[in-house]
Amino acid sequence: MLVTWRYKYRNSIMDRIDPRARWIFSCAFLISCTMFWDARFLIFFFIIAVVWYTFGRTKWKETRRGWLLVSVMLFSMIVINTLITGGGAGGVVPPGGHEVWTQGFTIPWVNWHIHFGLTAERLWFAICQLLRLGGISAIFVLIPYTMDSRSYGATFHGLGMPDRFAYTMELSFRFIPTLAQDSAATLDAQKARGYEIEKVKGGLFRKILRIAPLIVPITMNSIVASEDVANAMDLRCFGQYKRTWLFELKFHWWDIILIIFSALMLIGSAVAAYGFKMGNFWIPESFINMLIG
Amino acid sequence: MSEKKKSLFKFGTREVVYSAIGAALYAVLTYATNFMQLPGSGNVAMRPAVVIPMFFGIAFGPIVGFITGFIGNILSDLLSGWGFWFWWDLGNGIMGLIPGLIAVAIIDYKAIKSLLLGEFFVILGAAGGMGVAAISEMWVSGADMTAVIYYNFLPAFLTNIANGLILLPILMVAYAAVAQRSGRQ
Repeated sequence: MLVTWRYKYRNSIMDRIDPRARWIFSCAFLISCTMFWDARFLIFFFIIAVVWYTFGRTKWKETRRGWLLVSVMLFSMIVINTLITGGGAGGVVPPGGHEVWTQGFTIPWVNWHIHFGLTAERLWFAICQLLRLGGISAIFVLIPYTMDSRSYGATFHGLGMPDRFAYTMELSFRFIPTLAQDSAATLDAQKARGYEIEKVKGGLFRKILRIAPLIVPITMNSIVASEDVANAMDLRCFGQYKRTWLFELKFHWWDIILIIFSALMLIGSAVAAYGFKMGNFWIPESFINMLIG
Repeated sequence: MSEKKKSLFKFGTREVVYSAIGAALYAVLTYATNFMQLPGSGNVAMRPAVVIPMFFGIAFGPIVGFITGFIGNILSDLLSGWGFWFWWDLGNGIMGLIPGLIAVAIIDYKAIKSLLLGEFFVILGAAGGMGVAAISEMWVSGADMTAVIYYNFLPAFLTNIANGLILLPILMVAYAAVAQRSGRQ
């Protein structure tokens, strides 16, 4: 089994931004964006997200797997929850509204008459959801492709996480290739004994049970091996002194600007949303007129 | 095996290593079993590896369980290229943390009582973890409670408890043998 990180150096603007500043911006964006359901605000956040995404210089071929997951998520949330069942809009859009297709419509050939009570308000809310979730997705889908996997430990340490937690993250990155190799060896050994992981027959329980001959030996071997690692770390006085990190991070002037922008975005959003009560769900009259006539 | 564990929330060198191993294991096994689809469903992948944070929680405590689930989910998303979804990472962490709360109560991993206790906390852990993750979707996507329960919570909760309930006893019995052989607690 080949396990590889998605990151590669692209000589992009994103490669020059300090990972700590990136996390601060991403979290500030998430919190700010989720304060609004007004499309006039959401379009602002969406544009920021698109600009941020282009900084990564990623290719469609590389990120399509991430976008496939996002598309499935957006489809279930927007098309099924909001447009078809109306459940997705229940928390924000007030009941009632201007119904689109009041007569319903008939599917040709089968002559099924469909009347699912779609309103202009729900349709507009779907657009708002697309802007909000699309923007958030653009910010977070980018991370695996543009953030150096060596930087995570130092980054979380730099963001104020305790050393032990940051080092756990660093250590888990280092264990991935070893465990992937162990998994492949165990899988081959079990296959040699007639184990068929890919067998598609059987119900849910049989499928889960079939995975046990793979999970059990890998887990137990890892636990036994971890004793040696822990002993080696103890012998080197792990946790007794302040840690230093091999991957050094340094703030540049543009990182400071990004952090200031993130702080202003967060404060501005909070003041607008909670101070001035702005950003609640709003629908333009022109949109209703266009649909209802 | 008869000696009681000392502290539930201890996070020393051993716990750092167990957490790191657990997280890496969770990520690798999730990545390795990504091909397993639920019968009759579109894109809902079955994740037998969710048993890893649950088991690590029970074996090594709630902090190890939490970090295994939290970091493991981040790593598996990084490997798969699925981005970073904090609330689902947090949910996976809680799924390891809650079973970890009974770590001190379990002395003999193959005793029926321990297995039943483990199974019960697997259900609580999956409910708590997936509940937090699903409810956060209300905040992010604006969905109402019914939609969140049917589209986010139930599919994740049901598959996770199925995986946990079937695989956890197998891992606990296997660990009991390993622990007995190596003389560890």
